[in-house]
Amino acid sequence: MDFSIFGQMAESGAAMGMAYALIAYGFQLTYAPSKSVNFGQAECVMLSAFIALTLIGTGMNYALAVVLTLLAGSLLGMLVERVAVRLALQQKNEGWILLTIIFGLFGGSVAENVWGRDDRPLPTPIPGDPIAIGSISVTWYEISIVVGALALMVVIELFRRKTLLGKAVEAVAADPEVAGLMGINSNTAIALAYALSGATAAFAGILIAPITTVGPTMAAGLILKAFSVAVVAGLESGFGVIVAGLVLGMLESLTSVYVGSGWREAPGIILLVAILALRPNGLFGKATVRKV
Amino acid sequence: MTMMNALSRHLVIRGVELLGLLTLAVLGLTLGHSPYALGLLTLLAIYAISLIGLDATVGYLGQVNLAHAGFMGLGGYAAGLMVAHFGVGLLPALCVSIVIGLVLGGLLAVPALRLEGPQFALATLSFGTFAVLCLNELESITNGAQGLTLVRPALLGKGTLDALSFYWLCLALLAFVWLGARRLMEGRWGRAIAALKDSPIATDAMGIGALRHKVLAFAFGSALGAFAGGLYAFNLGFLQPQAFGYELSVTLLLGSVLGGRKTVWGALVGAGLVVLLPNLLSNRSVFLVFAGVGAVLAIGRALLAASRREWSFAILAPALAMVLLLGIALKTPDLESWRKGLFALILFAVVVGLPDGLMGFVSQTLARLVRLPQPPLPPAAALDAVLPVRPARGATVLDVSGLKLYFGGVRAIDGVSLSVAPGEVLGLIGPNGSGKSSLVNVVTGLYVPTEGSVTLDGSRIEAKGLLAASRHGVSRTFQNLQIFGDLSALDNVSVSLRGAYRLMWPLVAAGLGHAEEQAAQSHALALLELVGLTEKARIRARDLTYSDQRFMEIARALASRPTLLVLDEPAAGMSRPDVAKLKTVIARIKARGISIILIEHHLDVVAELTDRVVVLDGGKEIAQGVAEDVRRNPLVIEAYLGSAAHTEAAA
Repeated sequence: MDFSIFGQMAESGAAMGMAYALIAYGFQLTYAPSKSVNFGQAECVMLSAFIALTLIGTGMNYALAVVLTLLAGSLLGMLVERVAVRLALQQKNEGWILLTIIFGLFGGSVAENVWGRDDRPLPTPIPGDPIAIGSISVTWYEISIVVGALALMVVIELFRRKTLLGKAVEAVAADPEVAGLMGINSNTAIALAYALSGATAAFAGILIAPITTVGPTMAAGLILKAFSVAVVAGLESGFGVIVAGLVLGMLESLTSVYVGSGWREAPGIILLVAILALRPNGLFGKATVRKV
Repeated sequence: MTMMNALSRHLVIRGVELLGLLTLAVLGLTLGHSPYALGLLTLLAIYAISLIGLDATVGYLGQVNLAHAGFMGLGGYAAGLMVAHFGVGLLPALCVSIVIGLVLGGLLAVPALRLEGPQFALATLSFGTFAVLCLNELESITNGAQGLTLVRPALLGKGTLDALSFYWLCLALLAFVWLGARRLMEGRWGRAIAALKDSPIATDAMGIGALRHKVLAFAFGSALGAFAGGLYAFNLGFLQPQAFGYELSVTLLLGSVLGGRKTVWGALVGAGLVVLLPNLLSNRSVFLVFAGVGAVLAIGRALLAASRREWSFAILAPALAMVLLLGIALKTPDLESWRKGLFALILFAVVVGLPDGLMGFVSQTLARLVRLPQPPLPPAAALDAVLPVRPARGATVLDVSGLKLYFGGVRAIDGVSLSVAPGEVLGLIGPNGSGKSSLVNVVTGLYVPTEGSVTLDGSRIEAKGLLAASRHGVSRTFQNLQIFGDLSALDNVSVSLRGAYRLMWPLVAAGLGHAEEQAAQSHALALLELVGLTEKARIRARDLTYSDQRFMEIARALASRPTLLVLDEPAAGMSRPDVAKLKTVIARIKARGISIILIEHHLDVVAELTDRVVVLDGGKEIAQGVAEDVRRNPLVIEAYLGSAAHTEAAA
């Protein structure tokens, strides 16, 4: 086996894996307080990337555009929560799965009609030329994905642990009823979690856009893998997503070289089904005791 | 008179059913000359078959199933390849589709068993994606993304089948599936799956079998999906893996929800919508009328609610969605480019505005306008036939020895041994957290003990699970009720009856289940009579009062004809007259020779009904004997009230 190809593929897979981890982290954020995730997250990633494209297209400063896109992503997340999640949670049924899928359908259609169906490159100040580390070449795009994803996760995690607002979300995650009795509005806490989740989706969109380009279906394949990562790590297990994301990204990249590019989706799917069958709470999750 | 009414109800329901199928037949006769219309009608019948299958998981099991399109694809390719490679006829090819669906559906259900909600949705989504991936990549067999062109073969071999005959075939198959599925789903199958949806734990504890019915529901639904896929392949004459991807899964799911759950009619209506909506877009003025009517209806409903001051997002949102729909439709020159968005808005309005789907809405409205009497219930069977008096044989029914149960560092049970004699009522008391519920959870198979043995009638049952414990003769009620809320009180009991349903499913689907059903109902009524719920047999379990739900759980627990009945705080939350009634019920059960373990905090109930009492504290037995002696035991008094020394120290 040629090690340089192996290393190169593992490296680029790992970079993509961090993007999965970031989106998976967004799933965990909402799953904790509401036991729901956004099945339309791919469209949130994509819409945010289009918003960034439009903002940068107006000649706006890149950093400002990123901040505004994160805000837009948060608003999208809150919109999802309001129109698709809250109602179903009130009725205590699984309708949110349907409603978030419907939201995604609508979001995709809006993007097609507002921005068109073509894939477009996202202008970015990040240099495009690779740097060589040993026999492996690493692009600045890949580095930005890894660094950016980690940075955002750390910031959100600090927010969750150190601020009162963040702790309120944690309280709702632990027990919504008791949190409600203590005067915490669980709807607001869940909306906040969706806003944070929307921000991770937006940032993921900005980070991967230089590699995938921006188009209505740019994130369609990404989302199932992010789901896999979240489930493999455990929907309630924090930073396990980084390990799971890196492993899955590398596996996938190596599969496409050594098995065939069409099979690159397979490891994520097999891993997801296997973990669900063997450890439904994920590799890093805790089992719960059934009480009657 | 009731006989006549029941007959007319039967005739009305079946008549309407026949009318639906006849309409399709007439449409086929009148539109048969237009290949386009015929193609749509055929597609409608095929989607209806597929949606009847999907309803097993989405409607009855209550889970979001995103693998259905994948099964259609697998079934389609299986049938297509059989014809293309082996030249078999249409019917054998379709049989292969069904087998593929049954086997793969059953296999997928096993890992999906423990999953609920989003995890189930993800597992099925992954399976669907994987199916398409395999169809795409196994190019040597499936011709990959380029697709497979097929000729529609004659039913049994050489020659081809014309489009009109194929339509008649699909319609006949739909009628066949329709009748069979309705009989199965209205019978014990459907009830067991609905029970599973409400409480998997009780489904196992009553001996119904959660795994079995989950696999059954999934395999049945997937087989119908694969079957429909086989028909789909020969309707178009062309197969491509991408056609069976996420979009079709979502479309089918939404068709199922739009049409309405747990009704065969819903599947037909849902199929109609799925087939017709894309065509609606091709005619601008028709679509505008459609959107306008929708918007007016939704706004009207919102205004009506507003006049009653019933503001809520659920009322307002459909109106907003329909207005947005109308706005987009008026503004855009090209409806087709907004296809997904317009669908999304319609779906959103229906999912939020009519949560039970169109047919759910129609049937509820009809039920309000026309009252059709229920068919009469059979007379209750004699109690001796349902619960024969058990002769007292052998020394013990239950033997628990050296039982320990640790949760991490918590010692819930710390070395308990006890036995129950035939026909004995053993009281199990102790302060909260003393290990009573943990103990019965081990005895009934819910928890696996850390150490020790549980022997029932000579067989070791510890660590074998709820279902095995139930098969060996343990039954129970639950401290936190585990009713099958969607089923009537009668159905809660009848679905749990052991040995009442023996008929093979093809015979039930063929309509031969009536006698068995009548017998089961009369047995279930006898048990409801025992607990005093005869008058409330028809009421949905979730609408019963709290006490009645507890009584119903007792009747349900008796349906498996147990040797040992565990009653976990049956009097909790009951009023005084209900507690008095409970006492007579327990005495009657004891008179049948059934051993009982009774966990109870009402000490008068314990004193009056138990032969012997075991007191637990901190996971250990601290006293046992007849109730009177135990009450005076200083250790027991200390456990409940604290010792004098403790009280003084605290003061």
